[in-house]
Amino acid sequence: MKKHPTLVAGIRTGPAKVRKSQPTHIPGVRSGNAPGGYDNSPGHLPDGTSTARRSTGINAEKRDPILPEMPNLSPP
Amino acid sequence: METIKGGNGNLVDMNWDPITRIIGNLGVYTKIDFENRRVAECRTTSSLFRGYSVFLRGKDPRDAHFITSRICGICGDNHATCSVYAQNMAYGVNPPALSEWIVNLGEAAEFIFDHTIFQDNLVLVDFCEQMVKETNPGLLGKAEAAEAPNAALHGFKTIADIMRAYNPFEGKMYQEALRMGRVTREMCCLMEGRHVHPSTLYPGGVGTVASPQLFTDYLNRLLSVLDFVKRAVPMNDDLFNFFYEALPGYEEVGRRRIQLACWGSFQDPAVNDYRYQTMGTWGRAMFVTPGVVVDGKLVTNDLVDINLGLRILLGSSYYQDWQQEERFVTRDPLGNPVDHRHPWNQTTIPAPQKRNFEGGNYSWVMSPRWQDPATGEMFPLETGGGPLARLWSTALSGLVDTPYVKATGESIRISLPKSAELPEVVFEWKVPKWCNTIERDRARIYFIAYAAGMALYFIDQALGEIRQGRTRTFADFQVPEEAVGVGFHEAVRGVLSHHLVIRDKKIANYHPYPPTCWNASPTDSNGIAGPMEDAIVDTPIFEENGRDGFKGIDILRTVRSLDPCLPCGVHMYLGKGKVIEESHIPTLGLNGRMKR
Repeated sequence: MKKHPTLVAGIRTGPAKVRKSQPTHIPGVRSGNAPGGYDNSPGHLPDGTSTARRSTGINAEKRDPILPEMPNLSPP
Repeated sequence: METIKGGNGNLVDMNWDPITRIIGNLGVYTKIDFENRRVAECRTTSSLFRGYSVFLRGKDPRDAHFITSRICGICGDNHATCSVYAQNMAYGVNPPALSEWIVNLGEAAEFIFDHTIFQDNLVLVDFCEQMVKETNPGLLGKAEAAEAPNAALHGFKTIADIMRAYNPFEGKMYQEALRMGRVTREMCCLMEGRHVHPSTLYPGGVGTVASPQLFTDYLNRLLSVLDFVKRAVPMNDDLFNFFYEALPGYEEVGRRRIQLACWGSFQDPAVNDYRYQTMGTWGRAMFVTPGVVVDGKLVTNDLVDINLGLRILLGSSYYQDWQQEERFVTRDPLGNPVDHRHPWNQTTIPAPQKRNFEGGNYSWVMSPRWQDPATGEMFPLETGGGPLARLWSTALSGLVDTPYVKATGESIRISLPKSAELPEVVFEWKVPKWCNTIERDRARIYFIAYAAGMALYFIDQALGEIRQGRTRTFADFQVPEEAVGVGFHEAVRGVLSHHLVIRDKKIANYHPYPPTCWNASPTDSNGIAGPMEDAIVDTPIFEENGRDGFKGIDILRTVRSLDPCLPCGVHMYLGKGKVIEESHIPTLGLNGRMKR
């Protein structure tokens, strides 16, 4: 335990009211940026295109284009 | 309140601390020679310690863009973007092209937004009818008689009509600019999720869902902004040219040797891979070309040279030196030696003390300088408020070539297509003769047109990606055990760099260097004055008021031309112990003013 008052850069300070900040990530918890994140996202295809499944989980295939040669412009 | 030393002989102390109509906490202390109508001495000071570089240490680097965004309440997204660039380099991740176009669109909207409100609602108040009436009544008489050369484009018959359009709260352009502020912020929110602190910018890409509607919503708003821009540019030109004509010698106000810095903006995903090794190449491909311009000549546009030349000096700042502290990066990823005074190796050790203008320390701002690798000369570079350096550097490099914006080597041509009310217009910004107050302000309005033109190009590119079906906006990455990264970007008011060192997957060192650190830096250990000090010293005084009614308008115009980003109230000290306090109440308009 530090004795108070302490000197920080020549300024007298009292006891800290907060705990020292820690990195927010907890080891073992999956990070959004972790490799495989894109592949595991539904509706995002390996070639960089996407389908309506990207935007909705309800009857997504009915929102895809009616012909295969049409671009899949998924809804917002 | 601090006691200020009285005037020395004919020199009178005139001090503004803090300066209003800017963001932050800036004081300007001058000695004015009323007999010869010039500023004899100047010191710029900031009384605010931030400490981002202190408390970022030990944090998860993936939080850096969310934290550094809070550095500023007006250009936070510039910090977030710059931090993302630095992180991309450190993580070795290359985001998909569409995400880069989205970031560029968000940043273009920010440039239009911030420059518009600063220029029309804050800077031009210094040039409006009411202010000119109070400071140069003779000039207002001339303005009433002077016809506006571009009246056919903007609809204001005389220069005095233009000045009236910028009167706060009542003027037509003042009110229109406020409306534009709303529209352009909506544009930024579409791309970055939120303004000013983006919620959808991450290293590796963006979380924005890229649908065709996103871009058409943006374009719809942009077209309404184009009408405003097409009127504002000729209005500004008419007004500023009038000052040159009606007040011969006004070009000397705020003039200093041309020493400009631009770190580049708007990445080109076709070239950029975020590797340090190729930074020179992808830096030149940016849609605002980075560069150091000295005496009107381009010294370099290579981001590696720019990076290695950075030096953070002390001399008048409240910090202890870090020469005895750890050196984090001895060589850059290309093997070049990195100086101990470089931001990668800086350790911030605050040393609070009493302000001392007489040979002591007087500011919390450090003194960033740039050392020319060829000559070793150390330059106190300025940003010219942002746009002046950006346009100058881009024009001289002559690399930007898009259907809407083209750099010619000595000018920049901006073509804005037909919009809701007005036909196609071509503007040309030509490299000016001087780096002074008027040219810094003029460049700002041209850069709004520049950003609008680039936004049109970015929409074309983004919609091209969508039509190909390429809707990917993010890429995966892992945080390395050890890495270094640097982000170069432009905050609205000029150069912005973030230097990052990662160890044990945590931030070991992080130093953001925003534009006002450069512009409002104090005199350094070599005795070289900071850019704002340099620009104000020897500025001639054109104000017609004498010592008792003195407002210091020429000095304030110079300070605001640099768009300082350091909060508000006015305390004005007159020499010999007389103190006038003046507070403004915005809701009461021009007459909302109390003297105590």
